Amino acid sequence: MKKHIGHTIITQWLRDHQMHPFDFQEQTWKAIIEGESGLVNAPTGCGKTYSVFLGSLMQFIEANPTHYKTAKNNGLQLLWITPLRALAKDIGRAMEEVIVALGMQWKVGIRNGDTSNADRQKQKKQTPEVLIITPESLHLLLTQKSHASIFETLKIIAVDEWHELMGGKRGVQVELAIAHIMRAKAEGISYKGEEKPSSFHLKASTSIWGISATIGNLEEAKEVLLSPLQQKGRIIAAQIDKPIEVHTIIPEEIEKYPWAGHLGIKLAHMLVPIIEQSKTTLIFINTRGMSETWYQTLLTIAPQLAGAIALHHGSIEQELRLWVEDALHTEKLKAVVCTASLDLGVDFRPVDTVIQVGSPKGVARFLQRAGRSGHRPGETSKIYFLPTHSLEIVEAAALKDAIVQKNIESKDPLLLCYDVLLQFMCTLAIGDGFIPQELWKQVKSTYCFADMHETEWQELLQHVVNGGTALAQYDEYKKIEIEEGVYKIKSRKIAMRHRMHIGTIVSDAMLKVKFMSGGYVGVIEEYFISRLEPGDVFTLAGRNLELVMIKEMTVLVKKSTAKKSIVPSWMGGRMSLTANLGEVLRDTFSKALKPNVGYELASLVPLFLLQQQLSHIPQPQELLIEQIVEKDGYHLLVYPFEGRQVHEALSAILAYRIGQITPISFSISMNDYGFELLSDQPIPVDDTNAYDLFSEDNLLIDIQRSINKSEMAKRKFRDIAVIGGLIFQGFPGEQKKARHLQSSASLLFKVFEEYDPNNILLRQAYNEVLLQQMEEVRLRQALQRIAKSKIVIQFPEKLTPLSFPIIVDGLNRNNLSSEKLEDRIQKMQQQLANI
Amino acid sequence: MQAPILHTIRGQQIWLSAARVLYWENKKTLIVSDTHFGKTGHFRKNGIVVPQNVYKEDLQRFFDQCSLFKPEEILVIGDFFHSTSNKELDLFIRWRKDLNYLPITLVRGNHDILKDSWYEEAGIHIVEGIHTIDAFSFVHDPSGIEENEQYYFCGHVHPGIVMRNGVRQSLTFPCFFFDQQKCILPAFSKFSGLKMMRPKKTDAVFMITDQHVIKA
Repeated sequence: MKKHIGHTIITQWLRDHQMHPFDFQEQTWKAIIEGESGLVNAPTGCGKTYSVFLGSLMQFIEANPTHYKTAKNNGLQLLWITPLRALAKDIGRAMEEVIVALGMQWKVGIRNGDTSNADRQKQKKQTPEVLIITPESLHLLLTQKSHASIFETLKIIAVDEWHELMGGKRGVQVELAIAHIMRAKAEGISYKGEEKPSSFHLKASTSIWGISATIGNLEEAKEVLLSPLQQKGRIIAAQIDKPIEVHTIIPEEIEKYPWAGHLGIKLAHMLVPIIEQSKTTLIFINTRGMSETWYQTLLTIAPQLAGAIALHHGSIEQELRLWVEDALHTEKLKAVVCTASLDLGVDFRPVDTVIQVGSPKGVARFLQRAGRSGHRPGETSKIYFLPTHSLEIVEAAALKDAIVQKNIESKDPLLLCYDVLLQFMCTLAIGDGFIPQELWKQVKSTYCFADMHETEWQELLQHVVNGGTALAQYDEYKKIEIEEGVYKIKSRKIAMRHRMHIGTIVSDAMLKVKFMSGGYVGVIEEYFISRLEPGDVFTLAGRNLELVMIKEMTVLVKKSTAKKSIVPSWMGGRMSLTANLGEVLRDTFSKALKPNVGYELASLVPLFLLQQQLSHIPQPQELLIEQIVEKDGYHLLVYPFEGRQVHEALSAILAYRIGQITPISFSISMNDYGFELLSDQPIPVDDTNAYDLFSEDNLLIDIQRSINKSEMAKRKFRDIAVIGGLIFQGFPGEQKKARHLQSSASLLFKVFEEYDPNNILLRQAYNEVLLQQMEEVRLRQALQRIAKSKIVIQFPEKLTPLSFPIIVDGLNRNNLSSEKLEDRIQKMQQQLANI
Repeated sequence: MQAPILHTIRGQQIWLSAARVLYWENKKTLIVSDTHFGKTGHFRKNGIVVPQNVYKEDLQRFFDQCSLFKPEEILVIGDFFHSTSNKELDLFIRWRKDLNYLPITLVRGNHDILKDSWYEEAGIHIVEGIHTIDAFSFVHDPSGIEENEQYYFCGHVHPGIVMRNGVRQSLTFPCFFFDQQKCILPAFSKFSGLKMMRPKKTDAVFMITDQHVIKA
């Protein structure tokens, strides 16, 4: 690199402290000094923070070579957007250490929901050089009048964990904020006719840097982030191949007829030595309900772990969760049973082992979790995979392949999120207001809204200004008002309410759970608790609790000694297999029964022999269909390996299309590998019509006819209504609510459907159903793949190993009690195995 | 819309209508509850977009029932109006003027917080607490019922009923809910949520689909 004084000073300092920069850091520094923008792709724990932060310092030293040590109050230099509140403090501290060590005067400010009012005031008077901020707080900052002046000196916008943000509506928030800041800097927004601040001429050019873990579409991730800049930018990837050891826990006895759920727990004893031999172990369980069960089971089989093992999931009281996180840092815990709640966030140094129970459903998630162990440079990540049924052992083999092939999922950026845009329009209307033509250009510069049509923009304006269609003289709708061409919110009440609602994370209605005698246990979904009667016993936070009563949004409970309890099934549903993992899985299945395939597949030989003997093992270019006649009816099984979500749509469409051939009714069930149609009459599918039944033609029409989209859209509308400002949720934890302004999303959905069916937010809900719920794109790809495949139809004499878990899943759906179900399945397994 | 169906309580003839009203034939009285007039206006005034047509249609249905049953009196069991005054109520007043001969009694509900003078001008007679006519008593909130021989009519709850069809699907409907002691009327307004009832065997539930009243 050409000699740059900033670079020289910082690298010297690093050398003095025995720190050696990675190549990707050097590259990033160079790019920053040269004013470029881009995306840094590096795993956690490899100094990705330093890559951008030190670059920012170098840039400053470069510009102030003689007085960089004494320069104070330089205005905002680096805006650091992070999705995680918990990370802000650690990052801030790390930055401050460097600043002090270099003898510089920079200040680091943190701004999020926890920032006190006093600190906010301080930041307003004197903007720190570095501001670490969440997307929500950044938007809140935009509600301040003349906020544009804060950004005048800004040189770098850094977005940490961009891969996390991008796939969700928080990513859209970031896109909108960046576009706004860039334009504010370019044009100097000041609508109030006030004189522009004198320092305006200092207007610096700003670069944007994203920091992202590896995802399948890094190029797109960069494009989304830099969209308002109209620059290509560059990707700087860390060439750090972190070694990952994947161990599959193979049960002593392989079931030829696998069914989900129970095998995992049966293998729990095999975890004890792993936990004991490791320093600290994180045990990832897919659902909160199962994590409760696992925690209990581990305590029962390894009582010596009592006190050294903890539970961590999203419904556990915040304080307790923080305690667990703290205890993880200080090495006080041997193991933590957790859910996705510990996927992200601060790294816990003592963690050297991770156990994944059940399918991680995706390659990226598996890698992310593996990376939570041994995350420091030079260390090895160690992950154990514990299957919850024997077919999942194939997934373990598939995951290993995927890791070698670097077949990692993409995160698809969201498009045309009108709810977020409506919220953003109101946010700006509270601050300095906006002029539609200018805002239109700004919004169009984002990736999310690049394809927005002028008519939709007009609809949005109409929505916020006139409240849609109304009864002319009997209406007093008021939100955004127009004053000399500037769109503003003038009502203080409306402004205050809007400020409280900035954000896109919508939580389900949660009730607090408290003991009668006082003492807080956690929170629980209203949906779950509303189905219980006083006296019922349920499990939360590892305790058995008896419901006493529900009073004012609080569930009062007492301890219970009952042996049986109901484990809450939290909404949020089951995760679905990703397309990438599905693809590798199809491939892996075809390798079964071939020589030299690794110990996972080798362990499943008996199962696959049975599958082959009874039916067929699907090959990558094939679609296997099995027709099995049993006492309970005619089963049609299809194995596309596309994940539960796609199967849900696919099975409904297939059922509809078969119904066009002959009047027939089905019950449908599915898992990640395939789906089942069950009928009391023969199902007319054979090689003469199979290809037509899976045709891509008329897909949208058949979706319309076969799926209750309205029900799905209603669920999507909940978040949209909250984000779009139709629902006032009141203040968290307080009873104080706006008088007479409560309504539920389902009620609003009903009212809009009936009286304003063309409303833009309603349309968005239907769109989200199609794109996210039905995964239309993936559905289409699946059908195209099937069209090119060879459809293999088999008529096995009895249930096959592949069909068994799906059929069991179907049993589950009928209202059998769980006990009876278990007996019934075991009997089925025995009967099938005896022949 | 399907013709109202007859339900006899204590020898009195009560007609249940899919328009979410009761008609007490012996007294020629039209009974409604929880109309929440002005609710969309209140939301809109506070910057929350809700289509006003739901109010227009509610109001239309209300006055349609007046011309259909030709009652001598209207009795509203509370929550006639949703909140403080707004322009939407002017539309109500316009309709009211055409029917100014018709007495309206309002048993006050928790939402009825307009000024006394407003009710007076609108020709609405207000009753606090329990309103009694012969063997029937009317009170907004069922928790205000007193232990006696009276049969009560209430609102406030917005009763609904879940109908399950098949394994995983269910539909919800507003309903008239009758038990030994009282009747809870459905909310008249279509801009209102539902509280799901868990009827006992001795209760009578009439659910309201779009056009029909059906005994569940």
